[in-house]
Amino acid sequence: MKRMMATLAGAVALAAATFMTPAFAQDKGTIYYLVPTLLDEFQTGSVSAIEKFMGDVGYKTVTLNADNKTDVQQGQMNDVIALKPSAIVLAAVDFNALKPQIEAARAAGIPVMQFDRQITSTVSDFTSVAGTVEIGEVAAGEIERLLKEKNGAVKGKVLQVLGDPGDPYTLDIQKGFEAKMKAFPDVTIITHPAMQWEASNAGSIVADQLLANPDIDLVFVHAAHLAVAAVASLEAAGKKPGDVLLVSSNGAPVGLDLIRKGWEQVEVEQPLFAQAAALAMFADKVVGKQELKPGSYDVLGLQGTLTIESWGPNIKLPGAAITKDNVDDPKFWGNMKTPETPVAPVP
Amino acid sequence: MVSPRRRAAIEFVLDNLVWFILVAVVAIFSFAVPNYFQIGIFANIIEQATFVGTLAIGLSLLIIAGYMDLSIESVMALSAMVIGILFAASGVGLGITLTPEWLVVPVSLAVALAVGAVVGATNAFFVVRLKMNAFIVTLAAYIWGRGLVVALSGGRSAQEMPAALRVFAIERFLNVPLIAWVSIVATLAFAFVLRKTPFGRHLLLIGGNPVAAYRAGIRVDRLTVITFILAGAIAGLAGWLLAIRTSGATANLGVGMLFQTFAAVVIGGVSLKGGVGSLTGVYAGVLLLSSIQTAINLMGMPAHFTQLIQGAMVLAAVLLDTMKLQIRKKLA
Repeated sequence: MKRMMATLAGAVALAAATFMTPAFAQDKGTIYYLVPTLLDEFQTGSVSAIEKFMGDVGYKTVTLNADNKTDVQQGQMNDVIALKPSAIVLAAVDFNALKPQIEAARAAGIPVMQFDRQITSTVSDFTSVAGTVEIGEVAAGEIERLLKEKNGAVKGKVLQVLGDPGDPYTLDIQKGFEAKMKAFPDVTIITHPAMQWEASNAGSIVADQLLANPDIDLVFVHAAHLAVAAVASLEAAGKKPGDVLLVSSNGAPVGLDLIRKGWEQVEVEQPLFAQAAALAMFADKVVGKQELKPGSYDVLGLQGTLTIESWGPNIKLPGAAITKDNVDDPKFWGNMKTPETPVAPVP
Repeated sequence: MVSPRRRAAIEFVLDNLVWFILVAVVAIFSFAVPNYFQIGIFANIIEQATFVGTLAIGLSLLIIAGYMDLSIESVMALSAMVIGILFAASGVGLGITLTPEWLVVPVSLAVALAVGAVVGATNAFFVVRLKMNAFIVTLAAYIWGRGLVVALSGGRSAQEMPAALRVFAIERFLNVPLIAWVSIVATLAFAFVLRKTPFGRHLLLIGGNPVAAYRAGIRVDRLTVITFILAGAIAGLAGWLLAIRTSGATANLGVGMLFQTFAAVVIGGVSLKGGVGSLTGVYAGVLLLSSIQTAINLMGMPAHFTQLIQGAMVLAAVLLDTMKLQIRKKLA
């Protein structure tokens, strides 16, 4: 019994030390970051980026993972509201289901900032997004170029592998991509979803489609971790790097590695660092409930455009196309070099 | 009164019903779905059956013995991530190389099997020694197993497995990749064990009536522990194969395969009450699901229909199982 009590006391002391130490490091209060999942590299990267940048401007960040479950995230919101933090940063599992909790938080005087996933059905205090539709459009522009280089004109067959069909993120990319590709009637697009964003599902789709449509010119997958499985299927089908062109989106480290190895031609980056930094730059104003002025802002070297929308202040940051020419640029989050220069609050 | 010859024919059909359904479904798809009828697609069906097929071996053994194992999917992912971290060259992979290069095959396989066996042994300890409910124990392992995958990888991917391992995904024998042959050989080996060895027959007895098996002198607890460890190790094998196929591991690798495996096991004729089932039937169930998935991939049907069809097939399988029991009663 004594031994058990000693162990318990040790565990409590350790937990107290773990939770209490950072509180002395920052003094402006605590911000809760509600991350939708930790099963992909973008989300994992967002945790460290937000914690770092918020630390730069004086806030302690506590992260809660919803495991892609809407009900879990709703519960987390309710719990966090009770804790009365300085602000909540939300990357919603479901874009609309969190509306009542966002309204409850704001009614309790807690500002809510949206990260990466734009919620337009209710007002938030600040939104920082890449523009997923725009990512699809950037991908379309790059695919237009690649097909022209390969076939002499914008024509050919494209296999588009979505993520989970229940995820608005992938549907928005599809929307932007297909809208822009409508201008090229000689391009056939075959679209299949990889259920639950699971890599082997994407690999199976590529393997089957290579047999059904051996003349596929290009594969466009909506996340870099799916590109890894796509490459494995291409390799198993006897293809060499460049035989079938490959474009992916989100800019994860694995995608950048595939570009270096020649398997992938373009990765359309979601500007994770800039999206996270924008939250920190405006945190003081949001927490202080000050007015945000629309205009152009320099966020880690990217030009973000702040507009006042019906759902609140919204900063949109441009996605970038990563190719073999610029793949080693440290500004891309996939190179895992979080900017060392501290972020400063906007005056 | 049914003649012995007719009775034997009916028994044969009942025993192999899932194979007949598989042949019928593949024939229908071959006529109805463009590009379906070709050797490459059939090879893909077998390749895509590899992971669920391997997982189904261990799950079937445990269900036949009268237990549940919900942990297999996470064990598979854990094994894949461990060998990804150890041997993959990019991402979170440490890129450990061995000399000679081929040594990576037995070493990585041993690691994957060991990871699975350890989780299986942990499950067995709680179920057999502490008499806890297998459903809850393995549900907990399903949750902490995936959590461990995320914790070990930090949510990142391991990529670029060594060439000596990738050979199993690239090289083919009779147009079928070697990873699929590994799964087929494992299925046949355990089908033999289940049918022809005292261990297999004892499992069927334990699943049918553990008290009677105990009174007959069978060491029920010992066999149960071995079966849990085997199920874990086989899930580890599935993880090894999956990491080779996808050339690495992601934190969400294999998500959703648990339910596909349960569907395949039920469709394959294993009774959830224990004591009944054959691994060849289960493999036919896996091939059936894989052939439907491939048809959907080729047809461009929205992927949501896959789950609808799988759900309907599980219900149909249970219905068929009930009908089979009634027909057998009448024959007896």
